[in-house]
Amino acid sequence: MARLISDPDARGELFSAYLDGQLAPDEVVLVSNLLDGDEEVIREFRSLQRIRRSLRLLPEFEVPANLLPDGHLGDRLSAYLDGELVTLEHRRVTRHVVDCPDCRIELQELDRARIAVRSLPGVDTTSTGEIPVTPPVRHTRRYVAAGIGAAAVAAALVVGLAVGNGDEPAFSLNDLGTRHVARASAEPGFAVLPASVEVSFP
Amino acid sequence: MGKIITDEFTPTWEDVAHRYGRKIYNFAYRLTGNPDDAADLVQEVLLRVRKGLDSYRPGSFDGWLWRITRNAFLDGIRRKQRRPESALPEGDHHTLGSSPSPDEVLSSVRLSDDVQSSLLKLPYEFREAVVLCDVVGLTYDEIAEATDAPVGTVRSRIHRGRKQLRELLTWPV
Repeated sequence: MARLISDPDARGELFSAYLDGQLAPDEVVLVSNLLDGDEEVIREFRSLQRIRRSLRLLPEFEVPANLLPDGHLGDRLSAYLDGELVTLEHRRVTRHVVDCPDCRIELQELDRARIAVRSLPGVDTTSTGEIPVTPPVRHTRRYVAAGIGAAAVAAALVVGLAVGNGDEPAFSLNDLGTRHVARASAEPGFAVLPASVEVSFP
Repeated sequence: MGKIITDEFTPTWEDVAHRYGRKIYNFAYRLTGNPDDAADLVQEVLLRVRKGLDSYRPGSFDGWLWRITRNAFLDGIRRKQRRPESALPEGDHHTLGSSPSPDEVLSSVRLSDDVQSSLLKLPYEFREAVVLCDVVGLTYDEIAEATDAPVGTVRSRIHRGRKQLRELLTWPV
């Protein structure tokens, strides 16, 4: 204590660390004692306080945008909502969203859209009979064109469902798959996948 | 301001860029008083972070990052010493023959405001400690880790830096 009173540098160092909240509890008590009375010591403290404040009030510049990558989460947000991210990635996204207002807003909008889509009423196939898609049947085949067949089936289904009406023939997954395999047999060039590739129809 | 990056995770490069880019930029700007140097440093640090993240093991991320930042900054100064004709303004070439110190290089940068100009007159170690504390907002422990100095030394540098600043400022404090 006596040294601190007589040594302005030691005292100032203590004040500086006190202002930064970097002192141990016993040192904080020491500072309180030092500031209890002596006008000169109090002036010294105030002076350091003003210097520190002037440094902390220096304006903060924005980093030029061209230096930063587009670090937003993009399609990871949808995967995040759907619970498709593995644990570590999920936690990273959570932390980013907490800190990034843009991604937080985007996440909320995506979530609203997702809920809206999921709450759409289901199509009643039993009452109208308009879309009598055959219930999924699992097949495992070793045909070379099966992969292309699956893609073709999916595409056909999309088109069929988009333009179809009650008067048009119904689609059948089995039927389309069978027709595609038949074409692959008749046109060798149609088949591009190696024979060893095993593809499962959904 | 809370930290998104904690010591238990290895962040992505993008996380680092967005979270720390501004701090790195301001760190460099306050040390040099030069926006071009600050931008160069941000690019260099992000490059080093991108290369280094693979080998980073969760620990003190701030300490790791600011050590990289400091090393990149000092490397930049050394490069300028090797190419002084582009680093120093007119009138300062008299220092070239005697291998100018980082302080001499840095203090040659033109300054705009009083605090900034006084800051640039501080010896490098003091300026660095003050900027890391008051501009970047690191704790003494983090500064010690970033600068590879004991905490007691950091505490002393911060105080001596502020004290010299008080003497340098033209307005009364």
